[in-house]
Amino acid sequence: MITRKQFLLAGAALTLSGCANIPLGFRPSFRKLEPDSGPFKAPDSDSVDLISHVIGRLSFGPRAGDFGRISGSARTQEESANCYIEEQLAPEYIDDSALDHAIRRIESLSEPLGELFEYKEKVLLGDMTRATLLRAVWSKRQLYEKMVHFWTDHFNIDSSKGDCRWLKAADDRDVIRRHTLGKFPELLRASARSPAMLWYLDGRVNRKQNDADKPNENYARELLELHTLGIRGGYTQHDVMEVARCFTGWTVRTVSQLNKGRVEFHPEQHDNGEKTVLGQHIPGGLGEKDFDRILEIVSLHPATARHLAEKLCCHFIADEPPASAVGEVARTFLSNRGDIRAALRALFATPDFLAARRTKIKRPFEFVVSALRATQAETDAGPALFDYLVRMGHAPFQYPTPEGYSDRAGHWMGTLLWRWKFATAISRNEIPATTVHTERCIEDFGGAQGFAAHILGRRPLPDEIAASGSEADKLSLLLASPEFQRF
Amino acid sequence: MAIPIAAVSSNGDQRQTLIVIFLRGAADGLTLVPPVADDNYYRSRPRIRVAPENAIPLDGSFGLHPLLKPLKRVWDDGHLAIVHAAGSEDDSRSHFDAQDFVEHGGVAAGGWLGRFLRFRDRTPQSPLSAVALGRRFPECLRGAPSVTVMQSMDDFSLGQKSDDLAARLARLYATQPDLLAVAGRDTLNALARIERMRTSVYRPEHGAEYGTDGFSLELRQAAQLIKAQVGLEAASLDLNNWDSHFTQDAIMNPLMARLAQGLAAFYADLGPAIAHTTVIVMTEFGRRVQENSSFGTDHGMGSVMILMGGGVRGGRVLGKWPGLASNFLTGPGDSQVVHNYRNVLAPVLLRQGGGPDLPVIFPNFQLQPLDVY
Repeated sequence: MITRKQFLLAGAALTLSGCANIPLGFRPSFRKLEPDSGPFKAPDSDSVDLISHVIGRLSFGPRAGDFGRISGSARTQEESANCYIEEQLAPEYIDDSALDHAIRRIESLSEPLGELFEYKEKVLLGDMTRATLLRAVWSKRQLYEKMVHFWTDHFNIDSSKGDCRWLKAADDRDVIRRHTLGKFPELLRASARSPAMLWYLDGRVNRKQNDADKPNENYARELLELHTLGIRGGYTQHDVMEVARCFTGWTVRTVSQLNKGRVEFHPEQHDNGEKTVLGQHIPGGLGEKDFDRILEIVSLHPATARHLAEKLCCHFIADEPPASAVGEVARTFLSNRGDIRAALRALFATPDFLAARRTKIKRPFEFVVSALRATQAETDAGPALFDYLVRMGHAPFQYPTPEGYSDRAGHWMGTLLWRWKFATAISRNEIPATTVHTERCIEDFGGAQGFAAHILGRRPLPDEIAASGSEADKLSLLLASPEFQRF
Repeated sequence: MAIPIAAVSSNGDQRQTLIVIFLRGAADGLTLVPPVADDNYYRSRPRIRVAPENAIPLDGSFGLHPLLKPLKRVWDDGHLAIVHAAGSEDDSRSHFDAQDFVEHGGVAAGGWLGRFLRFRDRTPQSPLSAVALGRRFPECLRGAPSVTVMQSMDDFSLGQKSDDLAARLARLYATQPDLLAVAGRDTLNALARIERMRTSVYRPEHGAEYGTDGFSLELRQAAQLIKAQVGLEAASLDLNNWDSHFTQDAIMNPLMARLAQGLAAFYADLGPAIAHTTVIVMTEFGRRVQENSSFGTDHGMGSVMILMGGGVRGGRVLGKWPGLASNFLTGPGDSQVVHNYRNVLAPVLLRQGGGPDLPVIFPNFQLQPLDVY
């Protein structure tokens, strides 16, 4: 038997083929999005075991088949958990063709940049939201989707500002999703050149054509404060102003022009003087190369590593993450030149991660998606669900300011009423275009106790099972329970 | 009105409520509140003017359109203030662009009201902190911590046979070690109040007479929510179709009657609660000073904003009036915007308390708040 540590050290030497039941490679198929069929195995421990823990953290909550599939993939819980982690860190080997097929039917999302402007903005926002929900609910690449959410918040763009109404769709596809598990410097670079980001943080109007022009500092500040070094990252107001100077001249063609949405550099609007950023000298006359210099300086800066490690650990371990885990993730991030997978692999190997059972409270989006997954719900992922997300203040692409939705529980404590209302509505099949088959789920788990254990990730307490009432009432109670708010 | 003992939310039951009424389609401020002492008004509006003898006198310079008569009592009580020559710097004269610009608070992400609710010291908030009455999600509330597009009071209920569920949830949440215990208790309190409100017949007080139209019904619901003390901080309502290019009287008269009846009933119904409830009436832009050939008016710039309740310095027209002399008009002959809408909203938001972050709520704008209190 190998320990978890040995397994992770072995890294690439271990092939995934050691794990049974984990799909490998692409198997083209055009299946509809259909729930798995039972019988299913439920967790049988009184507390959250390692398998339920990693499913809860790496995914938007267990689907009916997950616990059995993963716990049966190796001899011990540790090995099985490791197999699942490695599987999720390599999404390109996971067959997700049924979902991909469903997403391809949302045409707007594959349109080239310029064509996006042909769509009504409400249609685009609806399409993006729907795809986001469908992917979270159905994708087998769950860690990948979780990280898409992480970066969407990190590089937050509210689609309601100016041309972001159209351009955010391209940002989601070409920046966030393309680089989600790639190299951070490339992700950052793509974001800095994203037309939506140039709109959202006013980079497009950051210019210096004459001595009177004052650079617009908005993007420069958020780049340092939010995207890279962090608020305590050791930069000064002077650094912000110098970074802003370096970015002068980059702009986006607007709705009234040809090739709208295209990002361009206008040398005549660039401040070509010399600059100093974080103590590093940038000679004059570099023109658009200033852009590259800034990204070189900040993307793998130790403060950036620490800031990202803190945020990742907050996301996957606890609201106030332990310093040891943060340090480990930051070190790995730097030694692997900003490789996001390596950082995550290190995070999942920390004792802090393994011990952090149910220390996080789901945000509303995670709550809604986990309920849809746990109940094998059929859903159009449409307006009725958007409405719940809006009520809970967690609709994708609709957070107004650049810091993105909070990852900490305190911000979401006012949402319980709507969670409970959602719990009762979904259990009673009262949400339009969303259906659950509770009786079938109970049967597939060999009884109500098993279904309850699947939903909670552990065996239920007596108070968590309503003694009387219909199956819908029992399901309402489980989904509204405190345990289901955690992961 | 009984004062409940337990608070619904950790913020101690926010009692300040903001009601934002948007007159969509660009309401003509010169008809709502005609400048009865301005000869230029009568010269520009030979056929669709409010005759001086018909206007309800306010302060010598301005009158109310006769159909707004029910508001005169509110004015006399000192709870109604008018800001003329109000609007935004957006000169697109496009309904959509201008509404968007006003509701977003400039070229900004999310709406001004949404950002107000989110960026204050005071969190967390009631699950009912913001409702949009009517079917439409208003851009001004985009980005708020919670928005319910409310159709009926049933939207807030857990439905039938929920007593047993609530009792079980109370037991489960009470034993939680952290934030969830407090949140659970707050939510159960809110639910109890909602159920009481939902299952009782609402009777407006103080002889308030709401109309049977949608606007009155929505204001009635707002009053009900305020009195039930469920933590309502902001409600948004629309009154649509003010776009009076053609036969302006026929378009505006029924709307003005509805506006006045609804507001007057709401004012009466709330009674003393009007002191902590502020109503803001606004529109995307005003209309051309000169009437057109089809007894209407075209898209312009300045219009009026109306403030009611909440301790505003009422019974007067606030701010400056540039007049309608041709050298004071802008563009193709429009009333100037002397009072940017943000300068009217900002002091109201400050009054709501909680330390709103005004530079975040109204980005890229140098505020010069109007003296509305």
